[in-house]
Amino acid sequence: MGRIKDSFERAKNQESKTLITYYVAGDNNLNFSKKVFLKLLSYADIIEIGVPFSDPMAEGSIIQRSHERALSSYITFSRILSLVKELRIHNQDKPIVLMGYMNNFLSQGENLFKKIKKAGVDGLIIVDLPYEESEFFYNKLKDIDLDLIRLISPTTPKKTIEKIVKFSSGFLYYVSFRGVTGAKLSNFKEVQDKVKYIKSKTKIPVVVGFGIKEGEIAQKMSKISDGVVVGSRLIDIIQQNNFRLSDSMKFLEKSLKKFRRDVRKK
Amino acid sequence: MANKNNNYNYPDKNGRFGSFGGRYVSETLISALEELESLYKKIKNDKKFQEELTNDLQTFVGRPSPLYFAKRWTDKLNGAKVFLKREDLNHTGAHKINNTVGQVLLAKKMGKKRIIAETGAGQHGVATAAVCARHGIECIIFMGSEDIERQAQNVYRMKLMGAEVCPVSSGTSTLKDAMNEAMRDWVSYIDDTHYIIGSVAGPHPYPMIVRDFNSIVGTELKKQSKILFGKYPDKIVACVGGGSNAMGIFYPFIKDKEVDLIGVEAAGSGLSSGKHAAPLSDGSPGVLHGMKTYLMQNSDGQILGTHSVSAGLDYPGVGPEHSFLKDMGRVHYEAATDKEALKAFHDLSRIEGIMPALETSHALAWVSKNAKKLKKSDVVVVNLSGRGDKDMQSVAKADGINF
Repeated sequence: MGRIKDSFERAKNQESKTLITYYVAGDNNLNFSKKVFLKLLSYADIIEIGVPFSDPMAEGSIIQRSHERALSSYITFSRILSLVKELRIHNQDKPIVLMGYMNNFLSQGENLFKKIKKAGVDGLIIVDLPYEESEFFYNKLKDIDLDLIRLISPTTPKKTIEKIVKFSSGFLYYVSFRGVTGAKLSNFKEVQDKVKYIKSKTKIPVVVGFGIKEGEIAQKMSKISDGVVVGSRLIDIIQQNNFRLSDSMKFLEKSLKKFRRDVRKK
Repeated sequence: MANKNNNYNYPDKNGRFGSFGGRYVSETLISALEELESLYKKIKNDKKFQEELTNDLQTFVGRPSPLYFAKRWTDKLNGAKVFLKREDLNHTGAHKINNTVGQVLLAKKMGKKRIIAETGAGQHGVATAAVCARHGIECIIFMGSEDIERQAQNVYRMKLMGAEVCPVSSGTSTLKDAMNEAMRDWVSYIDDTHYIIGSVAGPHPYPMIVRDFNSIVGTELKKQSKILFGKYPDKIVACVGGGSNAMGIFYPFIKDKEVDLIGVEAAGSGLSSGKHAAPLSDGSPGVLHGMKTYLMQNSDGQILGTHSVSAGLDYPGVGPEHSFLKDMGRVHYEAATDKEALKAFHDLSRIEGIMPALETSHALAWVSKNAKKLKKSDVVVVNLSGRGDKDMQSVAKADGINF
């Protein structure tokens, strides 16, 4: 119970910020992605499992291609839940969050909530479910002690932020720029001001995602927030190694170690 | 029961048509959608705005479009009298321009410097390029690479009017992917860009705005039919892809329950073949492109590839108001195959001297099939949503002819 809350506490005790990683289930096949997730579980504090969608509207080209590869490896929602169960055999402490699009979650019907709880999922991030449409999912997840992780963006008005934080749990995900995943960060000052404002309104941890490509940015962002999310960069590393297992793991590990250090630096 | 539709007032304040519609987009887009909605509400009844719009519709688009009696076709069909609402005579050749002339004015009022749009058959792209040229606004059109190939002439038209055409080769390389890419662009340049969605689809307020701008078609038809036959038509038929021409001609008649409304989807190679683009006939509710609506999808919520001979109907979703009207039974939805549409295309070309768009040919195919089952006194109006010049290549290919 409360794995997400615990993970932020743990990071704090270790004088670190929280490192969250994203990878897509089934890229480029289920077994390969399982090996990636196991590696991520040993370095990251929270792992996000991307649920591939045929129409990933918010993704840049790296994650789009990742979704396409995963879908052509015949990944299904039930296989993703089996994957989570297998990961839970290896690790019972670290939070696992599913991140995806509304239609894939809707397609599971009302059983969705029971099924993800049973598999060991701690929360959902639904990219195309803004605050205004989220009441049903928020309540359903709350009933079973799971978190609906909210996204806040540079264009979210202050008034809306105040509403969002009241109906939030787990952590808040600040999208660092106007754009799709994997693009370049534009305005650090804006991120800084916005995160500061969110933090003044809530005690829930705030992490920064989108555009965290290198250790330097991770370090800068983690200084002004409670953690960072790294996604496209990790997929890119594996892609560059053509999904060859040993090389992919070697370079992934190297990158994770660096991100780990960078979010720890004072 | 008799008054069932008399309170029809949708979307509701949450942008919903019953359980359909809504605003399922990333948080970044919400404020832009709210800005658009509040501006639209403020100016839609503004006298000056309406004057400007009416002037553009008359002098730039060429409205009102005539209501034409297809006499020879009626004689051949030997059933109901068939009239055609001639949206094909509009500037740029389809109903699409009714929406773009309106939305470009909204964009200007919001001070946006850049306009983006998605297009399937290219008609919406051409209609957007035309209004952008006229107002001197930068214009970027997203188009699936497969559609670029089958609608090469429209691509060139857009370029001639100064638009930049961006090929989209992700996913299935058709309309749905062009829409994904337009959304990605919009989220990246949200501050200075207006997205002109071309159908009654997408997040609220688009289904409402696009419907309202196109409803000039149905409003004119009301007047014209009273004058021409002293009553409203018995049946109105329109093709449905995203469904903007259908909503445009249906909407003013929704409360007039004596008028049957028939939407015709693309059955492609046949509904049972799975190779079609008919979510209302053979789909299930889900969420795509910001709206809850009927979709073609598998049991895991992955969107299926579609097939239709007409690029403009080749879309796995449909405007949310159509989903609502289907479930409440106010509009009757059927589907016509590629083959039936092509036959209707040839029939109308030869018998009436009017080459319809392949999209429109689906609505005509319904009339071919059903006119003789109707009374001779019945009046059927087809929304002739677009002209077929753009489809020469596709039709020739289907006939085995190479230019």
